[in-house]
Amino acid sequence: MLGYIIRRVLAVVPVMVIVALFVFLMLRLTPGDPAAILAGDSATPAQLDRIRENLGLNEPLHTQFIGWVTQMFRGDLGVSLISKTPVSTMIGQRIWPTLNIAVLTITLSVLIAIPMGVIAAWRHRSWVDYAVMTFSVLGFSVPVFVIGYVFIQIFAIELRWFPVQGYMAPSRDFVGFLQRAVLPAFTLATIYVALIARMTRASMLDVLGEDYVRTARAKGLRENVVLFRHALRNAAVPIMTIIGTGFALLIAGVVVTESVFNIPGVGRLTVDAILARDYPVIQAMILLTAGLYVLVNLVIDISYTLIDPRIRY
Amino acid sequence: MQFKTADLSAAPVVLSIRQLSVGLSGETTKVLDAISLDVREGETACLVGESGSGKSVTSLAVMGLLQKGSLEVTGGEIVLDGNDLLRLTPSQMRRIRAQRIAMIFQEPMTALNPVMRVGEQIAEVLKTHTDMSAGDCKARVLEIMEQVHLPEVPRIYRSYPHQLSGGQRQRIMIAMALVLEPKLLIADEPTTALDVTTQAQILSLIAELQERHGTAVLFITHDMGVVAEVAHTVHVMQHGRIVEQAPVESLLRRPREDYTRTLLSSVPSLVPRHVRAESRQQEVLEVRGMRKVYGGNGWFLRRPGTLAARDIDFSVVRGRTLGIVGESGSGKSTVARCIMRLVDPTEGEVRVAGIEIARLSRRALRPHRKHFQVVFQDPFRSLNPRWTIAMSLTEGPLNYGMRYSESFARAEEMIELVGLPRDSLHRYPHQFSGGQRQRIAIARAIMMRPDVLVADEAVSALDVSVQAQVLKLLGDIQQKLGVAILFITHDLRVAAQICDDVIVMQHGAIVEQGPAAAVLSAPRHEYTQQLINAAPGRHWDFANFRELETA
Repeated sequence: MLGYIIRRVLAVVPVMVIVALFVFLMLRLTPGDPAAILAGDSATPAQLDRIRENLGLNEPLHTQFIGWVTQMFRGDLGVSLISKTPVSTMIGQRIWPTLNIAVLTITLSVLIAIPMGVIAAWRHRSWVDYAVMTFSVLGFSVPVFVIGYVFIQIFAIELRWFPVQGYMAPSRDFVGFLQRAVLPAFTLATIYVALIARMTRASMLDVLGEDYVRTARAKGLRENVVLFRHALRNAAVPIMTIIGTGFALLIAGVVVTESVFNIPGVGRLTVDAILARDYPVIQAMILLTAGLYVLVNLVIDISYTLIDPRIRY
Repeated sequence: MQFKTADLSAAPVVLSIRQLSVGLSGETTKVLDAISLDVREGETACLVGESGSGKSVTSLAVMGLLQKGSLEVTGGEIVLDGNDLLRLTPSQMRRIRAQRIAMIFQEPMTALNPVMRVGEQIAEVLKTHTDMSAGDCKARVLEIMEQVHLPEVPRIYRSYPHQLSGGQRQRIMIAMALVLEPKLLIADEPTTALDVTTQAQILSLIAELQERHGTAVLFITHDMGVVAEVAHTVHVMQHGRIVEQAPVESLLRRPREDYTRTLLSSVPSLVPRHVRAESRQQEVLEVRGMRKVYGGNGWFLRRPGTLAARDIDFSVVRGRTLGIVGESGSGKSTVARCIMRLVDPTEGEVRVAGIEIARLSRRALRPHRKHFQVVFQDPFRSLNPRWTIAMSLTEGPLNYGMRYSESFARAEEMIELVGLPRDSLHRYPHQFSGGQRQRIAIARAIMMRPDVLVADEAVSALDVSVQAQVLKLLGDIQQKLGVAILFITHDLRVAAQICDDVIVMQHGAIVEQGPAAAVLSAPRHEYTQQLINAAPGRHWDFANFRELETA
């Protein structure tokens, strides 16, 4: 077990090296002079020289790469071309709203979707099943911003239960955070509930046909014990995979929701950086997202071995 | 042959099924048609029949576990201790399960929850139905595990199903079923998935526990050998009806119904068939000093591999059949896979039609692949469900560059050779029965005009009557085409009926080899003797309704 985890963690290294290499080369291999790109349109030749000197652009490529990686490891992600503040500070400020909303969204999705999927599979081809499946199709197909605006219209403007937009850090005021985060979280959750419920249902349908489910019933166990203790854990591996990838996607792909609800998260930071060609920020965000994906996959892989004792690598 | 003859007419009736009918939901088709039977205390009642006869439906109906929405009881009653189970509410029925009626299933690997420790799975029964403390539960579980003769009970308590052998898993199932000492035990093909020696142990364990607790046992099986060993009374089922019920001995000696006679006559005899003259034909398959080690070459660490086969030497000549007999893990399938080069042998030579193939690269091997073709065990999974039979049959020749019209003509010829009409070619696998699919699989294999036909447990998944037909078909094809057959089986009866020569394997090595008649009637090696002694009903000649004369 420990050996597996160590091997699995070590396997992360080559992936991250390749990602880092890609990000490093992105700037160096784009047509034109990286210094010119970094300096922007109104730079003087003296400024360009200074940038080249600072970035070590006059040195051979591999020396540059090693220097750059060392710099990354020290937490120095460079300085934004636009705001002239360190990228690490910028991301540090913006990551928390995104993370907090993501955690809330995934928690909500799991709590709603898993019982939905289990019950749909249990009552296969009944009206409950059809209702869940219909919801799933809708959840997939309606665009996020439509759901967001509909929620705002109903719950914020008509019913006045929640504020329309904005964000509050949970450390400052947890209730305030929840009030502002509930609508974006539900908006985002719609698609994840659809996805996870569907996966749970499919996986449970497979498992419910298995012999050990019949054995569990033959023991005289209650249906909820049969479903949740015996069947669900056996159905859990694909569900975990979806939840994990869903979480990773939430970090990088919440731009629309952050815009609709005016949340100062990393999604908007990334979009602004891309529009402004703020290369250091873009590079840092690629690195961060890739790192997060790798980390989530690591956690999912390790969780498999906890769920299913037969899985040993 | 020692049958169970105890007179149980005085013993109280535990289970009484009266005029039970089960139908497909929403249709008039009857799956069970007014069946009636009694099981008394201490009695073993066997339900026998081929697949689809309704024996498993009967057992699930008693448990109240018929699949909701597809099967439902349409009439009759199931009386246990004076209560009609069909009138109970779901929660009353839950209390009956495990306490009054328990069930063990065919496949102990899939019947246990793979992600839960086996001890906890047994303890769960106690926690659900009694208010014993956690400590008492565990003590009781360990006790019942001792009773089913599991070794190292504390270690096995903490094990997961995949860490145990098939026999141990079935012991766990039995412990789980008997932990609350139910009045009725339903055993649905409990030994079908086990090796013969393990089967013998499990059968004697069930008998021992039945004697100790006076349990009534409803035993479902398709295996007449097992029936002869365990039954007091036998109920023969066909198409959802009981066609004959009688005490075991009179049923086997004097079957009244035609169906029972047919069923008994299909049971392959353990006595090897008449010896065919030694053939002077050329050898088409020759294996010398073959050895296979699985694994053992990790990227970082070198781990010792698993030795799956060693010192394998044999040859088969044209037109003859060689059987490889052994239990699971004996290496018989490894040998077959090495010969077909589905895996690469670690050492040794394999010559097919005079060409050494053990060391050929995949690419160099391709032209020779047509010389050896295979028929697998499960005809439900070995044909592509999305392809017509014509596509499956012509694929091989097309790959070797034959024109479609030519290979289609050959497909027509072959499908008739295996006894199916030509228009079968345009249909899909799901439109055929298991026996028909196995015929199609055979047709597919002989499309390539192979020199060697490898049959890997090719009749093991079939009912006995179908089994007899497929065995006969293989014999006929061999005569017509002169193909050599390598027949891999765990079933000594089948081996006795089809093989000219036999190899007995244990732990990856050949322990005995020779003409089938010699090896099976006068085994020299201890392990072969063990195998034959473990074969259920070995003293009975089912097809002739009498004791075996040689026994």
